[in-house]
Amino acid sequence: MTFVVPIGPQHPALKEPEYFRFEVKGEEIVDFDVRLGYVHRGIERALQERSYLHNIYLSERICGICNVAHTTAYCQTIEQLAGIEVPDRARFIRTILCELERIHSHMLWAGIAAHEIGFDTLFMLFWRDRELVLDLKEMISGNRQTSASNTLGGVRRDVKPEYVPKILRTLEKLEKATEQYINICTSDRTILARCAGIGVLPKDDAKKLCAVGPTTRASGVDIDIRRDDPYDAYGQISFDVITEPDGDVLAKVIVRLREILESIHITRQAVKALPKGPLRAKITPKIEPNEAIGRVEAPRGELLYYAISNGTDKPERVRVRTPTYANIPSFKPMFVGGTVAEIPIVLASIDPCFACTDRVALVDSHTGKTRVLSFKELRRWKG
Amino acid sequence: MPRILPQVLRNLFRRPATVKYPYVRVEPPEGYRGRPSIDKERCIRCWLCIRTCPVRAITVNKETKKPSIWLGRCVFCGECAEACPTRAIIMTREFELATYDIQQAKSE
Amino acid sequence: MMEVVNFILGSLVFPGLLFASLIGLLYIGIDRKVTAHMQHRIGPPIWQEFLDVGKLLSKEDITPAAAQSPVFTAAPLVALGAVVTVMLLLPINSAQPALTLVADLIVIIYLLNIPAICMMLGGYSSGSPFGAAGAGRYVVQLFSYEFIFILAIIAAVVRVGSLGLPTIVGYQAQQGWLVLDWRLLPAVIAALIAAQGKLLRVPFDIPEAHTEIVAGPLTEYSGPRLAIWRLAYDVETIVVAGFLAALFFGGPTAYLIGNIQIPGVVDFLIKTLAIVLLTTTLRNIMARLRIDQALKFFWTYVALLAIISLVLVLVVP
Repeated sequence: MTFVVPIGPQHPALKEPEYFRFEVKGEEIVDFDVRLGYVHRGIERALQERSYLHNIYLSERICGICNVAHTTAYCQTIEQLAGIEVPDRARFIRTILCELERIHSHMLWAGIAAHEIGFDTLFMLFWRDRELVLDLKEMISGNRQTSASNTLGGVRRDVKPEYVPKILRTLEKLEKATEQYINICTSDRTILARCAGIGVLPKDDAKKLCAVGPTTRASGVDIDIRRDDPYDAYGQISFDVITEPDGDVLAKVIVRLREILESIHITRQAVKALPKGPLRAKITPKIEPNEAIGRVEAPRGELLYYAISNGTDKPERVRVRTPTYANIPSFKPMFVGGTVAEIPIVLASIDPCFACTDRVALVDSHTGKTRVLSFKELRRWKG
Repeated sequence: MPRILPQVLRNLFRRPATVKYPYVRVEPPEGYRGRPSIDKERCIRCWLCIRTCPVRAITVNKETKKPSIWLGRCVFCGECAEACPTRAIIMTREFELATYDIQQAKSE
Repeated sequence: MMEVVNFILGSLVFPGLLFASLIGLLYIGIDRKVTAHMQHRIGPPIWQEFLDVGKLLSKEDITPAAAQSPVFTAAPLVALGAVVTVMLLLPINSAQPALTLVADLIVIIYLLNIPAICMMLGGYSSGSPFGAAGAGRYVVQLFSYEFIFILAIIAAVVRVGSLGLPTIVGYQAQQGWLVLDWRLLPAVIAALIAAQGKLLRVPFDIPEAHTEIVAGPLTEYSGPRLAIWRLAYDVETIVVAGFLAALFFGGPTAYLIGNIQIPGVVDFLIKTLAIVLLTTTLRNIMARLRIDQALKFFWTYVALLAIISLVLVLVVP
C-alpha cells in the first residue's frame, strides 16, 4: 500500500511555493512527481514589451540571487544580436561580479543546507561570512544584491584602483574561512550522517537527464560553460572545474564549497589583471532582424538566453532557460528509494530557485488533470 | 569531537558580528544607490530621465512642472542619474524608505 | 491548617509554579542568549522568553476545526502540572523536597514522562499530518532515550542502595558526588545524552524538526495553549537539569562563606544552569540526526555506556 505525501506549495522546507508529490511506502519513497507554475510571472512576455535597454532590469529580476548571471547572459545575447564588441575592461569587471555572486550564492546555499539538517550554528556562520562578499558587491556595484551593473555593450561602473586592496584582503579572509568550513563539513559526524550516501544522482542519470551546474559536477560529469564555451574574461584566466564522483548530497556540498575557493582564485586573477580601457561600447537602440543564443554558468548551472530581433527597439522573442528548470528531472533518481526524512535536504541539494523556473499549467479541479497551456492559448486567454 | 567546537567557544567571547540595527547604524559605502533625489533648480526639463527609466516610475509633477519619482515603483538602478545632463538627479545613500502614506513615497 | 497553607504555598509559589516558571523562563532566555553568542550574533535579551510567553498568553485562542477535542486543550495543562509536581519532589533548598510524600525516584521518572506523552496526545489529536508525524517520531524517540535514562538512574540507585532522592543527596553529602565515582562516570554521560533527547535538543530535536515537519506535535497550537506548552517545556528543562544535579552532582548544598550562610537554592540554581549550558553547547555544535540514526545511536553507544556503568557498579565493590 502506498500513500501520497504532499510537500508544498506551502511547506517550511521550501522557500518558494512549488508542489511535490511523493508516493510513499512506509518511510520509503517509491515515486515522485512535481507540479510547477505557482510563481509564474509572465516575464518572457513582458520582455517583448520593453526596449532592449529597459529589459536589462527586467531580466535582472528573474532571479534575485543570480541577477548578475541573468544580466550577463541577457547582455551577451543582445550584444551578439547587434554585433557589439565589449571592451576588455568591461569583460573583466563582469567576470569579477559573476564570481563574487557565485561565492555569495554558494554560501547562501550552504547556510540553508545547514539549516535544513538542523545545524543552525553553521547556518549563522556561513551567512556571517557571506556578508563579506555582499560588502564587496555593495562597494563595487552600489547594492548588496541587485547590482544593476551590466549594460548593453559593457558595464556601468568601474572597479576603482582603490577598491583592489580591500577586495584582495576580503578574499584572503574568505579563503581561510571556506577552508575551515570544508574541514568541518568533511569531518563532522552528524553532518556526514545526514549527507553522505543520500540523494544519490548516478553519473549516467545525470547525463541522461541533462542536469547542469554543481548538481551534475557532483556526479562526476565534467561540464562548465566557463571553460567549455568561454565568455567574458574566462578565456584569459586559468581555473579548475571542480568535480566529485559520488553524486550524493555531501558531494554537492563539497563541490560548492570548493567552487567558492576556485571563485576566489578567479576573482583574484581578474582583479590583478584588470586591463585599462573604456567601460562600454556604443550601442544603437534598434537592432536588425537576427537571432542569438547566450550561455552563462550561473551559480546553479547553465543559464541560457535565446533572443530574436525584428528591426525595432524591442525584441521579437526572448526565451530563458534557467538552471533549476534543467535540474528538476534529476530529482527522480535522487528521491526514489530514499526516505521521507531526507526530502528537505535532497530538495535543497540542487539549490532550487523556482521563481526563475515557472511555466503556466492549468489544473481542472474536477478531474485533477493537468494541461500545459500553449503560447497561443495563453495569448487568447490574456485578451 | 566536533570540529566546530573551538570556533563556537571562541565566538562566545568575541564581539558579535551583528549590530542592534535601529540603534546602531552601518552607513552604506560611497556610491550606494539609495533614494534618488531631484534638484529642481538644476533640472532643465529635458525629460531624458522619463525616457530612460525602465519601470516608468518618473512622471511630471503638474504643479511644479518638474519630474517626480514614485519610489513604490523605482528599482534604484540609477539610470536616471546617469542620463541627467545637468546632474539634477543624484542617488543618495538613504535606504529607509518605508512609509505609511503613499503620497510620501515620492521623490520630487 | 498550617500544613494546607504550606502545601498551597509550596505548589504555587516556592518551589512550585511561580518559582519554577520564573527560573525556567529565565534559563531558556539565557540559553537563547548564549546560543546567539555562540553563533556570533547578539540575540534576544535574556528576558525575551517572558515577553514571548506573555504575548502568546494575551493572544486570541484559536482551535482548529479538526482539533475540537478536550485532549487537545488538556495536553499542555497536564504537561505543565506534571513538571511542576516534579519540582515539588526535587531537593531544591536542602536534601528534603518541598513535598514530603512517600515519593521515590520511580514517581519522578513516571512524572517526567508525562510531558512527552501529552505532546504525543496533543499531536495526534490536532488533526494535522505534521502533528501526527511528529507524534509518531516522538514515540520512537521516547523508546530510544527512556530506557537509557532509567538504566543510568538504576546505576546510581544500586550504588547508593536507595530509591529515595533525599537519601541519595544525603549520601553524596558524606561520600562525595556520584559523578566523581569512576564506575558511574559512563552512566552520567549516558544520562546527559538521554536528557538531550528528553529535552528535544539538537541533535535529537527530531519530533519537532521544523524544516521537516513544521513544528511537529505543536503545529496546530497557538495563543495561550502554545504559551502553556512553552512554559511546560521551560520548566521541564530545569526540572530535568535539577534532577540530574541532585542525582549525580551532589544536589543543593548550603555553604558558609565567611559568616554568610548561602542557602542551598543558590547551589541548585548554579548546578542546573551549568547543566542547561552544557546542553546548549551540545545543541550548537551538531546537526540533527534522522530518527533511525538517533534510535541506533541510543541503543548502541549510549546504552553500552549505561550498561557498562551498571555492570561496574554491580561487580566492582
